[in-house]
Amino acid sequence: MPDLNGIIQIVIGGLLQGGVFAAVALGFSLVYRVTGVINLAQGAFCVLGAMAMYYFQTIFHWPLPLAVLGAIVSATLFSLLIGASTFVPAVSKLPVSSVLVLTAGLLTFFEGVALVVWGNQPYALPPFSGEAPVSIGSVRVPTQGLWLAAGTLVMIVALWWLLNRTKIGNALRACAENPLAARLMGIDVPRMMLLSFGLAAAIGTLSGILVAPITSLQFDSGRFFTTSGFIAVAIGGLGSFAGSIVGGFLLGVSEQFAAFYVSSLFANTLALLLLLVMLIWRPQGIFSSGPQRRSDVRDDMRIHRPLIRLTTSKAIGFGLAFVVLLAVLPLVQLPSGVLSSLAIAMILFIAVLGLDVLMGYAGQVSLGQAGFMAVGGYAAAILATTYDWSPLAGVLAGIVISVVCALALSLVTGRLRGHYLALATLTFGLLVDSLTVGLVDLTGGPSGLVGIPSFAIGSFEFDTPARMYWLALALSVVLVVILQGGMRSDFGRTLKAVRTDQLAAAALGINVGRVKVVALCISAALASISGSLYAFQFHFLSPEMVATPRSFEMIAMLVLGGEGTLVGGLFGSLVLTLLPTLVQSLALYKTAAEGALLVITFLFLPEGLFGRLAMWIAQIGAPPTPVPPASTPKLADKAS
Amino acid sequence: MTYPALEVHQLSKRFGGLLAMDAVTFSIPVGSLTALIGPNGAGKTTLFNAVTNLFPPSSGAVRFMGQDMAGLTGARIAELGLVRTFQTARVFPGMTALENVMAGAHRHVRASTALQMLWSPGARREERVMADKAEALLDLIGLRAFRDIAATELPMGAQKNLEVVRALMARPRMLLLDEPAAGLNDSETAELAALLMAIRDSGITIMVVEHNMSLVMGIADQVIVLDAGRVVASGTPAEIQRDPRVIEAYVGQEV
Repeated sequence: MPDLNGIIQIVIGGLLQGGVFAAVALGFSLVYRVTGVINLAQGAFCVLGAMAMYYFQTIFHWPLPLAVLGAIVSATLFSLLIGASTFVPAVSKLPVSSVLVLTAGLLTFFEGVALVVWGNQPYALPPFSGEAPVSIGSVRVPTQGLWLAAGTLVMIVALWWLLNRTKIGNALRACAENPLAARLMGIDVPRMMLLSFGLAAAIGTLSGILVAPITSLQFDSGRFFTTSGFIAVAIGGLGSFAGSIVGGFLLGVSEQFAAFYVSSLFANTLALLLLLVMLIWRPQGIFSSGPQRRSDVRDDMRIHRPLIRLTTSKAIGFGLAFVVLLAVLPLVQLPSGVLSSLAIAMILFIAVLGLDVLMGYAGQVSLGQAGFMAVGGYAAAILATTYDWSPLAGVLAGIVISVVCALALSLVTGRLRGHYLALATLTFGLLVDSLTVGLVDLTGGPSGLVGIPSFAIGSFEFDTPARMYWLALALSVVLVVILQGGMRSDFGRTLKAVRTDQLAAAALGINVGRVKVVALCISAALASISGSLYAFQFHFLSPEMVATPRSFEMIAMLVLGGEGTLVGGLFGSLVLTLLPTLVQSLALYKTAAEGALLVITFLFLPEGLFGRLAMWIAQIGAPPTPVPPASTPKLADKAS
Repeated sequence: MTYPALEVHQLSKRFGGLLAMDAVTFSIPVGSLTALIGPNGAGKTTLFNAVTNLFPPSSGAVRFMGQDMAGLTGARIAELGLVRTFQTARVFPGMTALENVMAGAHRHVRASTALQMLWSPGARREERVMADKAEALLDLIGLRAFRDIAATELPMGAQKNLEVVRALMARPRMLLLDEPAAGLNDSETAELAALLMAIRDSGITIMVVEHNMSLVMGIADQVIVLDAGRVVASGTPAEIQRDPRVIEAYVGQEV
């Protein structure tokens, strides 16, 4: 039990940490208020700022004030450039859920850029004014902490002044309250969206610069800031500025206490549990921000997706040819490592297939698909190694546990809609992340679980990449055929109805809540199978193999291949898994490319690679489609 | 004993300080076609939303075929056979015209999801029967040739008709139609009138919110006039046309 001083020390540490969370949360709220979208790239701005600062200060030896200024300006300009060419056009032409996923792509892209520039080692910048901490009474505070506190305060005051006392602030608030009315009043709404994006970037950049001397940063620290800032804003109230600040400090302090009293490995777990409780008890947060934006109702025509219909003969013909082609691949002399990559791509495809049911068909954004992979992977691996279960029994047990988790999660998400649903799945994924790291006795902790046997059915072992590949291929074919059976029947129609118009669906007797739960369970079960096979394939499983970045990667695979097509995910998974293997020199750029491909696909190829291919195939020798009549056709003659 | 199709008793709806619907009471006999008319803001859509629990009423009771509707979800109400359409055409994007109509049959699908996924012969047969029925309905509104076209690509009038037959596909006992003629031209309206009468003659009770007086007066068995959240008159079209209160509610408008 620490004395009073110790407690004060913890509180101060928490407030310092919380200041950064609050700043990130402010960025979230600002962009959310103006665009209705949570910009998941928010945390990446911190890293961009710190990275720019590193160059100006340590490499170019600029004096401190100039370096700070230079870093803020350059990082913000870079973010603005990206925002103007991707985020702003996306907000006006894509449904909100797609824009949310697009910002996940931006986060990945910024991370990839940082990886290329910085490499993967952590960086700590020199403090602004020396290493010696100042003592106030018997409490010691690092001087950088004072800079950070002052900087956070300045940002909050400046933002308050801008929003409440300037004309630009008025315009920003008008866009937040009613974008259409704002447009009618002559406000350039896209410019205001860009402005909010830029302001959020500047806030993130500055807090990154301020915090970099205290916490060492590396290329993927943005993820940490995004998730922490998001937890803060969800606790405080999405879109509420006061809520963002309170939520940030609350989170910072509670994490410090958790780290002290429980374990630093679990600091995040408790914060996430706090958030889940919050989402159940009071989804709008402590401070709700006035009337909710309705993100669950139909998004006008933005939700429109081109219809892709192959005739049965074409689907069977091309499908068989494709399967045969895939099946004979291992018989060909392939460069080393390619066959393993093919097996991995095929295994990941199973999880992406599940994601397609949930996201592509039912329209429920999941940012936590890797969480179910982790559940399935660890369940099978632990049962097979520690408890000597047969691998097959382990896989089945994993499915059961995953579905139970999905049912529990849907108790939370059942009450949630739109963004909150995506955020609850993200929370689930992060919670699983932190548990796989924290439960060292069970999972082996950060260093992973070793000695996982090969997958086997009876005495037949799948101990070569070719065998695993064929196994995953066979399983994928069976799953695609089964799911296609559902999709072309009533099940598929109800999923699509729920995706596009929940009110109209309910009016036809469709139990919307049940449909969502079923989709989530299917998606969890498939992710679980994929996670188990993944562990058996590598004979090893560590938390980062099935952590949240993997969720984002699978979304990229799905979108790149084509949502709502079942088969599309395979194209995305093949491209993103094989490219880095085939061209080793590209491996460094993989993360950036993944993010960029996700964003570009959303903007320019919404039907995805497979969707485009299928549209070409559909056109071969097809009769011209009838042109819809200009007005309603005559009702057929009937006796009345 | 036999119940009326829909019984609304002292139904009120309050939005904050605004009383949008004030003690509305009426009853609709089985097999009739009832029109609900009234000026803009009279509370017609509010009434529909309260009856289907989309925005549950503040007080009062709704009985459908004798059953109390309090607390039932929208999906449950549809399962009981009370199916509604919306003021703006709400066809499902990303589905063909045929799939849209077939989606209406959801509550009658007997094959389980698992059987559908296993391509069971029974499920496939059921699917074919539904497709045939949906196609016949599309034929009824002249859209058979466009069955494989994205429903959202159809003109507005066709989309509204599509929504009506999608609701029919659910084999409702009663249909609530919210302004099916809005945005239709005169000949389209005449065709809609024929369609509605055919539906009524097939035994389905209809309640329709409508602005178009010539449509309403031509086909309705009973007209209920709503103004400022209250029922100001009800009766046969002929009675309503003579009622001074109705003329007052529509000041300056030929009734």
